[in-house]
Amino acid sequence: MRISVSTKYAFHSLRRHARKTILSVIGIGLGCGLCLFMIGLVKGESRMMLKAAAESGNGHLRIVPAEWVQIRQNDLRLDNWRSILQELRSNEQIKRAAPHARKEGLLAFGTRTIGVEVIGVDPTVEQAMNRLVRDLAEGYYLMEGTRGTVVVGREIAQRLNVELDDELLITVADSSGEMSSAMLRIVGIAETGSEELDASICHITISDMVELTALNGAAELTAVVKEPRKLGRTAKALSAALPGDCAVLTWKEIMPELASGVKVDETWTRLTVGIVMIVVLLGIASAQLTAVLERRREFAVLSALGMRKARLIKIMLMEGLVLGVIGGTVGLVIGIPPTYLLATRGIDFSRFYGGSGISVSNILIDSVFQGDFGWWLFPLAFILSLTATILSSLYPAWYASRTDPAVALRVEH
Amino acid sequence: MSSSILVEAKGVTKVYTTGKVEAHALRGVDIEFRVGDFAAIVGPSGSGKTTFLNLVGALDVATDGELRVLGNDISRMTKRQRADLRLNSIGFVFQAYNLVPVLTAQENVEFVLELQGAGEQRSNRAKEVLAQLGLDAYSSRRPNELSGGQQQRVAVARAVAANPKLVLADEPTANLDGENSDILLKMMRDLNEAQGITFIFSTHDPRVVTYARRVVTLVDGRIDNDVTKNSATSSAE
Repeated sequence: MRISVSTKYAFHSLRRHARKTILSVIGIGLGCGLCLFMIGLVKGESRMMLKAAAESGNGHLRIVPAEWVQIRQNDLRLDNWRSILQELRSNEQIKRAAPHARKEGLLAFGTRTIGVEVIGVDPTVEQAMNRLVRDLAEGYYLMEGTRGTVVVGREIAQRLNVELDDELLITVADSSGEMSSAMLRIVGIAETGSEELDASICHITISDMVELTALNGAAELTAVVKEPRKLGRTAKALSAALPGDCAVLTWKEIMPELASGVKVDETWTRLTVGIVMIVVLLGIASAQLTAVLERRREFAVLSALGMRKARLIKIMLMEGLVLGVIGGTVGLVIGIPPTYLLATRGIDFSRFYGGSGISVSNILIDSVFQGDFGWWLFPLAFILSLTATILSSLYPAWYASRTDPAVALRVEH
Repeated sequence: MSSSILVEAKGVTKVYTTGKVEAHALRGVDIEFRVGDFAAIVGPSGSGKTTFLNLVGALDVATDGELRVLGNDISRMTKRQRADLRLNSIGFVFQAYNLVPVLTAQENVEFVLELQGAGEQRSNRAKEVLAQLGLDAYSSRRPNELSGGQQQRVAVARAVAANPKLVLADEPTANLDGENSDILLKMMRDLNEAQGITFIFSTHDPRVVTYARRVVTLVDGRIDNDVTKNSATSSAE
């Protein structure tokens, strides 16, 4: 295929002021590389938050009684939770699913008391699904078939001044509103590194919860999906497949404060990326405009020879396109190493938190923030760079197209 | 209008206005140029030569009067129509050559053909014209690698490549030495005689006047003299 003279003209024009073009390309590359790094950071942060939320016992999805969406009461139960759980476990998009029954209660030991949210769990799946209780500091986790046992967080144990095998008095309101109590033996103590979380962990078996509250079954089914990116589609499909008296909620609906935090981060990043790209765009526009002014006579001659405005604009945009492709490539060269390091090594924030774990909304977050790195970097680099260069070429192109050959050539005389 | 008349000006006036100051470049010019003319417009600086060429070349429009070029009333044409007229029917040769510096001689000539929408044959046509003007050995050189005379010949090649009916040359020999001026003028006259292309020059150069078959003198924006030489006196060899 023959390259048109217009294309050659656009290419060669970039070479006539090589230093200006190189500086422009470096500017685009730096801006683009910085944006890739920042987007990688926030994408990684969002992914990390979602993973942390899912692995802190909240899951990506939660199946709750339809009524719960309006009143959010822990006394509501899923009537047919076993069959729904079966259906969830047979769904190919669901990695794991576990039942939970929550109830506010009071733990007491001697004269000390503490208020907690007691969670009734299925011991066989909970430990695999919930990183907060995966590795206990002391003892062991709840076991199926063993009654009257409890796992608490380190902070609860310290506040109540209890040890393994001590017996706690637990008091909750039962289905009729009457106080119901039981003695539970501490079989395990969890330590997450976050005081906030260690003050909130109180797990008992669902069987004990049923016995204590006289509320039958599970209040919710928590599920972790295989592909978080397809979460919306999975939730929609489950919604359609499950009975109408239950609702499927995503983590954004379950933990709106976390979702809004992630959204704020993403918005800030977009804003920063926008500002960086505007600065780059203005820089290139200025350089392009200078080039147009220098080539005014040339454009006048081309116009005199019969070149139409549209062709001139096309040539200028082609120059922007070439600049954008080179700038995007340089952006990748500049942006990939730090983004890769961020994704593989991450940034350790533990020293800023005094070595303790970071928790937000009862979610344990890793102190090492890892960015995202993937194929998305490649199209994004070129999208950013081409958008900047083509937009910044528009005004110079329009300005060039307005060159009046008679006036420009007369000035030369 | 007779079919052999290429350019017909009736009372053409051009006034440039800068702020409140008006400069009359042309004051009611009446003239005709016919197919095959090889004419020089002479006159002192500021007499309106370049202005007249700009009007004939549809680069500008007259303030008053009627100017028809190739049957088109220039003042009634849109900018786009004028651009199309220039592209398809008029060739330009400038004093300062005005080649595109980043393109080779071949590409400079091809560019106009490409603008015209010529397909694959444009490369052959460009080579053919360059060869005709003795530039086949220089086709891959950029303007800064060519002498002034060679550059102006490339400019002529660019002007005639698209087979225009009319070529307007504004002081084409002003930057050339005597030898190169002669070569260029001879080549242009050959093109005029062989292909019937009409040439109109604006010039101060006596050599151009020697080669021209018709000499129009402009003074203060008016035609002072219009002489058509007979063939015996127009030869410059």
